[in-house]
Amino acid sequence: MKVLVTGANGFLGRHVVAALLRRGHEVRALVRPTARIECLGWSGVEVLRADLRSPGDLAGAFAGVDTLVHLAAVAIGGEDAQFSAAVVGTERLLEAMARSATRRIVLASSFSVYDWSKVRTELDESSPMVAAPELYQRDGYAIAKVWQERVARCLAERHGWELVVLRPGFIWGRERAYLAGLGQAVGRAHLTISPRTRLPLTHVENCADLFARVVDHPRAACETFNVVDGHDARTWHYLGDYVRGTGAGWLRIPVPYCLARGVVALADRISKLIFRGKGKLPGLLVPSCFEARFKPLRFSSLKIRQALDWQPPFTYAECRQRTYGWSARPCESKVAPAATRAATYVEAQ
Amino acid sequence: MHALENGVRAALVGAGQIARQHLACLRELPGVETVAVCDVSAATAQSAAERFSVPSWFTDHRSMLAEVSPDVVHVTTPPHVHYAVALDALDAGAHVVLEKPATETLAELETLLRRAGETGKLLVENQNYLFNRATREIAARIESGEFGAVIHVEVFICLGITAPGNPIADPNLPHATLRLAGGAIADFLTHLASLAHFFVGPHRTAHTIWAKRSPSPLPYDEFRALVDAERGTAVLGFSAATQPDAVWLRVYGERMQAVANLFETRLTFDRVRGGIKAMRPTLSLLEESRALRRAAFGTLWRKLSGGPGTYEGLWDLLARTYRAIEGGTEPPVPPSQVLAVNRLVAALKPDGSRA
Repeated sequence: MKVLVTGANGFLGRHVVAALLRRGHEVRALVRPTARIECLGWSGVEVLRADLRSPGDLAGAFAGVDTLVHLAAVAIGGEDAQFSAAVVGTERLLEAMARSATRRIVLASSFSVYDWSKVRTELDESSPMVAAPELYQRDGYAIAKVWQERVARCLAERHGWELVVLRPGFIWGRERAYLAGLGQAVGRAHLTISPRTRLPLTHVENCADLFARVVDHPRAACETFNVVDGHDARTWHYLGDYVRGTGAGWLRIPVPYCLARGVVALADRISKLIFRGKGKLPGLLVPSCFEARFKPLRFSSLKIRQALDWQPPFTYAECRQRTYGWSARPCESKVAPAATRAATYVEAQ
Repeated sequence: MHALENGVRAALVGAGQIARQHLACLRELPGVETVAVCDVSAATAQSAAERFSVPSWFTDHRSMLAEVSPDVVHVTTPPHVHYAVALDALDAGAHVVLEKPATETLAELETLLRRAGETGKLLVENQNYLFNRATREIAARIESGEFGAVIHVEVFICLGITAPGNPIADPNLPHATLRLAGGAIADFLTHLASLAHFFVGPHRTAHTIWAKRSPSPLPYDEFRALVDAERGTAVLGFSAATQPDAVWLRVYGERMQAVANLFETRLTFDRVRGGIKAMRPTLSLLEESRALRRAAFGTLWRKLSGGPGTYEGLWDLLARTYRAIEGGTEPPVPPSQVLAVNRLVAALKPDGSRA
């Protein structure tokens, strides 16, 4: 089958393209006009250069395409840049799809669409999505991803498309291993918030394998799946691997979740008291944002295992090897934590 | 003009970044109800409506005007759409609050002002920096005579619009402001021109330098101007390369000088003093250090308060505009001022030097 992949040269996208090719699919890769793709070594991939926010660019993108895998999003920049890229881009893309014979979409959503504050112990596909007014207290990425899902669901229903929504947890891999859910670096120290928490990890190659699997999987149609590998990786150990693997040189300082959450609650209470509920705190001190990064929950992978009979191809040890095993080359080993911090749940680009 | 019964019904066209400031301010204004938002992107319109509890949203401004008949329309679209939307809003019998720059050409603005005059409606351009606290405080000291006559004003905007990730310099999608003569910098000329006009009056001549110093999709990334005006002179500038981001305002009077950064709450004065002449610099510096300490905490307070922040001038301008609409009084930015400022804007453009 022929698959159109947006954000194809992104962190996840390049692995999804590879996984689709391995499964024998034809791939049309949609990348931005100025994207540098020579280093990806694509062979047998049809490349289409277009910006999703330019409707004119998308004419012909869907010709002969059976399934759209929509990964494009922006996880950096201001709220408007993120909204425009993820939501307005999706509107334009799906308007073009409506003029084609393509019937299935695989949408890369995110764990950030959930209302983490309302989840007690286990986060799964039945957990509530964050809604207004709480939605607008979250960061720009969460707002964009919620609206992207809303747009996709609305148009899929209107046109009778098969929409498969995949919500990956924290995607990690060689190009991006630092996660915002690890805590906060302060100089040479790293405050490791909630060190014993299980992280909702999915290695980028495992995640890509699932995306490639659902493009034609009959039981995936019109379903939503959380994507986690199900490995029992805890924050403390993951950060330890990261520090060793990248030579980050941080001293890990454990901060219990209840202590950090108490500080956040106090800051929130003081702000509400002084500014009568209208105050604006930095993201880390906003309770809903804090919980979406650090709340110690269990993350079920039952649905993808049962409905799709899927097992991640790589174990945690293998993922760690694939992520850090190349660090002998010093020029590549410097994963810049500051630059990657904001990109917690990045899907693509 | 007369007071409107049952409050004022506002609507907004163009629900992007600056629209959030308009909507947040309208939510706080007593007697004002925002009844509709419009954007060509349905999701953008709908999300703005949800976020600010606006009861209706549209993707076509003409349908919105016909269905909700707003008293006031805020035009916060990209600049090249201002003229058409504002004209439709005036024709529909609404007052118009127009984001800067008002229009792409002076001729379009003259048409809008003429139409506003014919329909008896207000056309107010957002010249927000005139309403920042710092600007108003300098103005108060000028009015009290403490400052003496203003001889010269300098406004210098430092904004890293060519930095990677800035949507204005996105190489994949030309930013809407690049359509303006002068490119993205032209989007900031209203700030420079309004402050120059405010302190030294209508311009007589303007000499400009437009330059491009670094690779980017922008036609120009540096701008300087020397303006001769009726009451004094002005030096205006925009730099995409200078950091950190700031809007520096320096006003030079006969007896006093003022320095403000309109991105912060920083405002300091230096003045002629009596007493021992040799002590003047010391006393001035002590006074300035006290003002800077106040500004340090004031800026942090402003940030944490969740209020308008650097958009405090816009909020004040909108509050004054709605009071003028309700009371039938002179608007805070009268038509003569809109026209004079935009005449200077036209003169500052790459093809308008010495206009």
